[in-house]
Amino acid sequence: MSEQYSFSLTTFSHSGKLVQIEYALHAVSQGSTALAIKAKNGIVLATEKKLPPLIDDKSISKINLLTPHTGMVYAGMGPDSRVLLRSGRKKAEAYFRLYKDPIPVVGMVKELATIMQEFTQSGGVRPFGVSLLIAGYDEKGPQLYQVDPSGSYWAWKASAVGKDMVRAKTFLEKRYSDDMDLEDAIHTAILTLKDGFEGQMTEHNIELGIIGPDRQFRVLTTAQVKDYLTVIG
Amino acid sequence: MSRGSGSGFDRHITIFSPEGKLYQVEYAFKALKAGGLTSIGVKGADSVVVATQKKIPDKLLDPSTVTSLFSITPFIGVVQTGMIADSRAHVARIRHEAATFNFKFGYEVPVNYLARRMADLAQVYTQHAYMRPLGVASIFCGVDEELGPQLYKVDPAGGCFGFKACAVGEKELEANNFLEKKVKGDPKFSTEETVMMVIQALQAVMSADFKATDVEIGIVTTADPRFRVLSSAEVDAYLTRLAERD
Repeated sequence: MSEQYSFSLTTFSHSGKLVQIEYALHAVSQGSTALAIKAKNGIVLATEKKLPPLIDDKSISKINLLTPHTGMVYAGMGPDSRVLLRSGRKKAEAYFRLYKDPIPVVGMVKELATIMQEFTQSGGVRPFGVSLLIAGYDEKGPQLYQVDPSGSYWAWKASAVGKDMVRAKTFLEKRYSDDMDLEDAIHTAILTLKDGFEGQMTEHNIELGIIGPDRQFRVLTTAQVKDYLTVIG
Repeated sequence: MSRGSGSGFDRHITIFSPEGKLYQVEYAFKALKAGGLTSIGVKGADSVVVATQKKIPDKLLDPSTVTSLFSITPFIGVVQTGMIADSRAHVARIRHEAATFNFKFGYEVPVNYLARRMADLAQVYTQHAYMRPLGVASIFCGVDEELGPQLYKVDPAGGCFGFKACAVGEKELEANNFLEKKVKGDPKFSTEETVMMVIQALQAVMSADFKATDVEIGIVTTADPRFRVLSSAEVDAYLTRLAERD
């Protein structure tokens, strides 16, 4: 990675652990909660977006498009997520240029996971302080993956990362069913966020992203989020 | 080389501490306060105003060479807070990025793009051990043709946010408290009101009454999107009007 440091900063402790990765996970668990649910016909990404009152909430978003058919949300350090977002988009473009086909979801996940792993082993760098939830829809249908600072990834039916992940996952386990429709999944996602939400939940302090059978990833506008919140009441 | 569990190098380079923090980044934030200055930015309905204290530490200094306000392009201004030497290096880089954008793409770089780019560069220093984070925060101001007035703050951690109003520096807590009350309910400020609010915010944190030579104020408006620094005469006029209003 860098010329000056030719040795890795992430090394094994005497008990065989990579403590820098554990500390990175700690950083993730201090980030605001993000969750995702895979329905039979799509995926919803949802996250808290609690910002200080002076910030213009339109200027940033935690949920971002990687390609037209994949999107991601993170928990943890925002600046680190931007590096992965940028790299992910470039890798997707490079894939398309070579194969003239959109990158498969699992291919996208692998690229990001590889980058994250490299930063746990290369010289002079630290691991990424983010866990990613990646949602995509390709020939294999809707797929949801989680990638951790170590670079390991798993496919999930539903998952949560960040501050509130334990409670959110318990909530999701109870409510999840394999034949959920995308609209049900969106409602469940909002309810899961609401369950652990401190204060009043509005369209300005949460974010929703969805991908449906049209295979187009979209971040919902505040107006659309408001409509869902009104239905839930 | 000992890489102990937490008690090793986590305070010297940007690796994680056991609590998942980056101490070097946190220390960089402390360096923002080291200069003893506070900077403020406020976004109005059709203007953006930024201001900072102007302290001349030595009477022998030529005051015209002491400044924290820099124009990056004729349409984007930045106010730097923190370590002076890091500021200058940073401004040189910002100007380079803006000029490269214009050269490559043929039009003026948008404020939010430039802010995001500088934040991404700042993030690199927080992840690569061979460079320390810079001890500066930048407040960018400009008027975007599509999005209107823009106010962005970039910090040593690589954070980049758009603001309705923001403050950085020694007295940022007091300044932010003051500003939060004023922007509650999302009011639309005219250019005059925006300048007044910036001056009032500075007055609230500087506690003493100040003269036009104690502050620098920069402004862009939709009517005149060129970034310019107000002359002492103009600042005096605002101060007088503010005093008369009270």
